[in-house]
Amino acid sequence: MANVEGRATAITVLTPYKRTGRLLLPIVFWIGRNVTATLKKLQMLSFIHYARWVIVKRFPDGGGGEKLRYPYLMFESNFNGSWDQYIDAFSEVVPARMKGIWGTSYGFPGPIPVEPFKDYIRANEYVANHYYNAYPGSTTTEIISAARVAAALDDLRARAGSLDPDAFKAAYEDMLTAIQRDL
Amino acid sequence: MSRNVSGQSYALTVITPILDGHVPALTEHLEALPEGPASPLARVPGTHLARWVVIDQVKYQGRGQRHRDRLSASRLLFTSNFDGELDPYLETLRTALGEDADAVWGHCRGYPGHQDRAGFADWLRSHALEAALFFAAYGDRTLEQVRADVDKRTRLIAFALGAQGLGAADLKARFMEAFPA
Repeated sequence: MANVEGRATAITVLTPYKRTGRLLLPIVFWIGRNVTATLKKLQMLSFIHYARWVIVKRFPDGGGGEKLRYPYLMFESNFNGSWDQYIDAFSEVVPARMKGIWGTSYGFPGPIPVEPFKDYIRANEYVANHYYNAYPGSTTTEIISAARVAAALDDLRARAGSLDPDAFKAAYEDMLTAIQRDL
Repeated sequence: MSRNVSGQSYALTVITPILDGHVPALTEHLEALPEGPASPLARVPGTHLARWVVIDQVKYQGRGQRHRDRLSASRLLFTSNFDGELDPYLETLRTALGEDADAVWGHCRGYPGHQDRAGFADWLRSHALEAALFFAAYGDRTLEQVRADVDKRTRLIAFALGAQGLGAADLKARFMEAFPA
């Protein structure tokens, strides 16, 4: 059992959904892909490295796939922090989107209040048997900050040779001021 | 553009049927795999986060769900968030995992083995599903870039702490030494 690797936690959920989902989910996900507000909202949940939803109409079997009575919705996420904090944030920050996505799944109690929502996710979760994280020591926020720091550092390094010491010191201090929140 | 792509990141989702009676042995094998940098997946370049999950059976929601579904075979889910395109990654997966791939997917129906180059990729591709929505917080950064960025940030923090109070000439000289071109 390995849902945690370093500072990342894995979540894997598989739920059957209703006939109405066959109509609604393609629209919900189309909006998710094409209306940037959805992905921006997820970006606000700044502790998610990667997440995906997959519609499973047939379970692959090497041929045409195995069709069950219901289609299924698979969700996976890789995030920092505790499982409880993660579901709390989903419930508080993006409840309408959670309702749009899981609203047609059987047994979904709604994202608010959060306890029944947690019970639902817990009941439909599969624990990873092996989980790999290439940067166990880094959170999502640190990785995004590090990209900004590296860009500022590379920029200063490229200019440094042509600056006299006083101009370099001023540029260095400007850089630190600009990226202080990322350090 | 594929729904599996965000920036340069790719979301691979593969679900394969487990051979009858193999769930306990596969589960035991996966759970005994070394973790962290010793994980076989650490050998696959460009892999950020990945997992294997045994889905022994789908779950019944009780009241409200009229019929109880049952998979005819348990499934093994493999997901990976990696850099670049699918075809080269599948080949990298084959060569980098080698016998470790066989020790896992050998418990699944129809797995051809890692020595069958074309068969390996075809088998994974034929069991792959497309994402409906893929979110990547830093999808434009490769694993190498992420590691380099994190390293630069760590080094700059150390440098800034050590360089406090230095005069302009010393500061520049130390900077050029600490961050060579």
